[in-house]
Amino acid sequence: MKLSFIIIAIVFSLTTKAQITKVYLTASGLTCSMCSNSINKALKTLDFVEVVKGDVKTYTFELSFKANSHVDFDKIKRKVEDAGFSVSSFTAFVDFSNVQVIDNKPVKIGDHSFLFANLKEPLLNGVKAVKILNRGFVSQREYKQISSPAVAIGIYYATI
Amino acid sequence: MIVKHTTVKLAVLMSFIFLSSSSHAQELFAMTEPASNRAARSIGLRIDNSIMDEINTSKTNYHLIPEIMAGISKTWMIAGNVFFSNRSNDFKYEGASIYTKYRFFNKDAVQKHLRIAAFGRISFNNSDIHQQEINMNGHNTGMELGIVATKLIRKVALSSSTSFLKATDNGNNNKFIYSTKESKAVNYTFSIGKLMLPKEYKGYAQTNINCMLEFLNQVNIGSGKYYMDIAAIVQMIFNSQSRIDIGYIKEVSSTITRTAPNGFFVRLETNFFNAF
Repeated sequence: MKLSFIIIAIVFSLTTKAQITKVYLTASGLTCSMCSNSINKALKTLDFVEVVKGDVKTYTFELSFKANSHVDFDKIKRKVEDAGFSVSSFTAFVDFSNVQVIDNKPVKIGDHSFLFANLKEPLLNGVKAVKILNRGFVSQREYKQISSPAVAIGIYYATI
Repeated sequence: MIVKHTTVKLAVLMSFIFLSSSSHAQELFAMTEPASNRAARSIGLRIDNSIMDEINTSKTNYHLIPEIMAGISKTWMIAGNVFFSNRSNDFKYEGASIYTKYRFFNKDAVQKHLRIAAFGRISFNNSDIHQQEINMNGHNTGMELGIVATKLIRKVALSSSTSFLKATDNGNNNKFIYSTKESKAVNYTFSIGKLMLPKEYKGYAQTNINCMLEFLNQVNIGSGKYYMDIAAIVQMIFNSQSRIDIGYIKEVSSTITRTAPNGFFVRLETNFFNAF
């Protein structure tokens, strides 16, 4: 019973972990290339990150991840903040396969639970751009404008 | 005289460049520290060189100040430097200081920020006290406590600081020769920096050129005497990691006794991100 539970857990985690394909984030509070470089180098130290492509012109960073790794959005955000800056936009590309969202309840995808705002279609399929709206994942100004519900720690309030 | 004329011309030219463009800068100032903190877990190494003309003599004072800086967290950094100079004829070690800065306010927006930090320095120096100016960066033993605010708007950075300085006797039995009342001073600074090149960023390997003007002032609390300096700096940043600052500092007005207020400044700096 215990073994089968572990197997189910492993299978569940394997199938779901691979679903976050990429993250695009924009950093704010900087213009200089030395600042941008400090973020670029900080993001590269994350053990689940495979490649960081920094665009010095738009302050945007594209992150791709190692296979079967635990992608941790909060760790990514913290690296930008430790470099001395803020995240003003954070979009994860998530590969959905028949994920049913019921009654606006949080859905678990990989290591993350999402609470979707204004979802047009309750059945999610294919790669979708999921924009995270939690505090620290959008600009301070944008966060004030979003009437985000109080979400529990570990749940990401997001739009598609 | 030629140098003086050139400096004034450069300052006027740079002021014109800053004022004539509405929005575009950098805040990695040479004479003051911005409110922004270093990246957490980064190490920076600096070699500061000052080549100052001694007033009323043909002597040139050379000050060499190597410095190591560390970003402890996203809000807190510490630095330590060592003072060498040839002011007393032999080039020798004269002292050291420890500096710390804590950023307590931060508001970021795209290509903008406003940051406010508190800073402090404790300095030790064993050279003779030879001027009324109080200077914790290579002349006096004592402490400095201050606050700095820095605003970045696209390519232009504006920074202003104020600090309280208290000098004590220097080491090697070199007493503070002025009255105790004159051992306290207030520094206030205003700095403006602008990113001149590249016009458009393409990659981390591009060399960046920043131009800066810094206004550095001190008022002695006891005597009410003051000085006002202006510094013009051209800065090159290589590979988004290392920099060279070349500047000239010029006394504009002063009622304080100073031995060598005018001269050139050259800083070499390199940074190691995620160093620990």
